[in-house]
Formats: sequence, structure tokens, C-alpha cells
Amino acid sequence: MLIQRATFRRLCRARDLLTEVTEPLSIAELARRAGMSQFHFIRQFEALFGTTPHQLRMKARIDHAKRMLSSDQASVTTVCMDVGFASLGSFSSLFARRVGMSPSEYRRVHVQVPDQLLAPAHSCFGVLAQLPLEAFRNFGEATHPGALQDSVR
Amino acid sequence: MRIKLYSIFVEDQARAIDFYTRVLGFEKKQDFPAGGTYRWLTVVAKGRDDLELSLEPNANPAAKTYQKALFDQGIPCTAFEVDNLEAEYARLKAAGVAFTQPPTQQGPVSTAVFSDTCGNLIQLYQPPR
Repeated sequence: MLIQRATFRRLCRARDLLTEVTEPLSIAELARRAGMSQFHFIRQFEALFGTTPHQLRMKARIDHAKRMLSSDQASVTTVCMDVGFASLGSFSSLFARRVGMSPSEYRRVHVQVPDQLLAPAHSCFGVLAQLPLEAFRNFGEATHPGALQDSVR
Repeated sequence: MRIKLYSIFVEDQARAIDFYTRVLGFEKKQDFPAGGTYRWLTVVAKGRDDLELSLEPNANPAAKTYQKALFDQGIPCTAFEVDNLEAEYARLKAAGVAFTQPPTQQGPVSTAVFSDTCGNLIQLYQPPR
């Protein structure tokens, strides 16, 4: 599909609004603001950003909850309400599905080592140093299976 | 000295490898654990290994900011060369890819721009024949 410049700008704006957890506009309202039907809004949004508006909103809420849990003293219930969930049950189960642990477990693991929150800030060149030898194999070597073993020896 | 590796930031590595291989048609070359949930993930053009493209997580907030600023201004983060731009445009559009610029002649080169669904705009260009 071809997305015109004005539509592109409106979709970027909708993406920004969806990631603000304090701005719980409905998808229908966001589509209206973007000047298109809800069907076209969701379709074009997904083609541009690789995720549906609803999925992006849920991801933004979970990310916000993770930040609060690792840095605030607020109770899990307060975090749940602050990021826009009405039910603690649905928040906890979505959180566990996405993050792999419950909100309270996440807090316990992350609040003790807050520096780990910054750990993903590596660069690809830093990672290079930790790669196994196979990572530097090229296609030429791949066609001669003995080459890699020889170089390892 | 030679240029062998180029990297772009991506929002989601699983989505990126799917898009760059299944939709764009590149081949996965490397996929190794790189700490935490991140992978050292590279692709190459089919049948070639002169240049690897690393699909690097944009986990660093600075990377996210940089990526979003370029995207929102409509600026491609990199460019891939194609032999037949019109044919690629038709193929990718049929696959559901969102273009922000259709094939356009710009001097001796024709270009088009699409979203890679991972936070980047990518330019395709066909050099003069």
C-alpha cells in the first residue's frame, strides 16, 4: 500500500498517543482523528509499525509497568491502575504472559539490581567480542566443512 | 580494511528476521545468543556474503530516539539497491508492505521508500543502467 504524507503524519501521531498510558483514547477515536475508517486505520497502522494499535497500547502499558515496578515503591495494584488496567487479574496474567514472570516477581528481581535495566545498552560491536568462532565463518568456508574445524584446531 | 558489516536498529528482532527474510527475501546468516533475550542476528543478500546487515535491538533509549526521529521525518535509515525498482515495488506492495514514497525518478536514479515494520524507513534505489 502507498501511504500519503499527511496520512503518514497522522499515523505517527496516533502511535504517539497510543504509547501515552495517561491518554486512553479508544481505537475508534484515534481512527477518527486520523481521518479514516477503523478498518483502514488498523490495516495501515499495522503495515507501517508492524503491530496493531491495540498490541502497541498493551506493550506500552507493560513497559510502563516494568519501569514503575523496578523504580517505584507503589503497590502492584497501584501500578496496575496507573498503567490503565481496570482489573488486577487481567494485568497480572498479561504481564506474566509477556514478561515471563509475575509483577511482584519482576519487582523482586529488578529492584535489587537496577543497573541491569541499562544492560541492554550494548552495541553490536561490543557483542562481536563475545561471539563464537562460527560467527566469523564465511560462505566459502561453509562449502568446505573441514575448513572451520581446521581453523579451530 | 574493508566494509563487511553494517547494522540497523530494530524494534523487535523476531519481527525483523521474519520481515527481512520472508518479505524482503534476504537470507539469515548468523543467529547467536548475545546476552539476555537479545540475539546477534545478521542477514545477507541471497547467495552473497560481501556485506552482512546486523539487525540490532534498539534497547538503548538513545537508539529508540534516533530511530523515531528519522522515521517521523520520513528519512530512510539506509538504502538497498535493486535491479528493477518497479518490479520490486509491485512485489512488496502485493506482500502488504507500506510505502511512503512510490518509485520516483531523482536525477539518474529512481527511488522508493517503505517501512520495515521495525521502526525504520528503507529506501530502494535503482542505479542508472
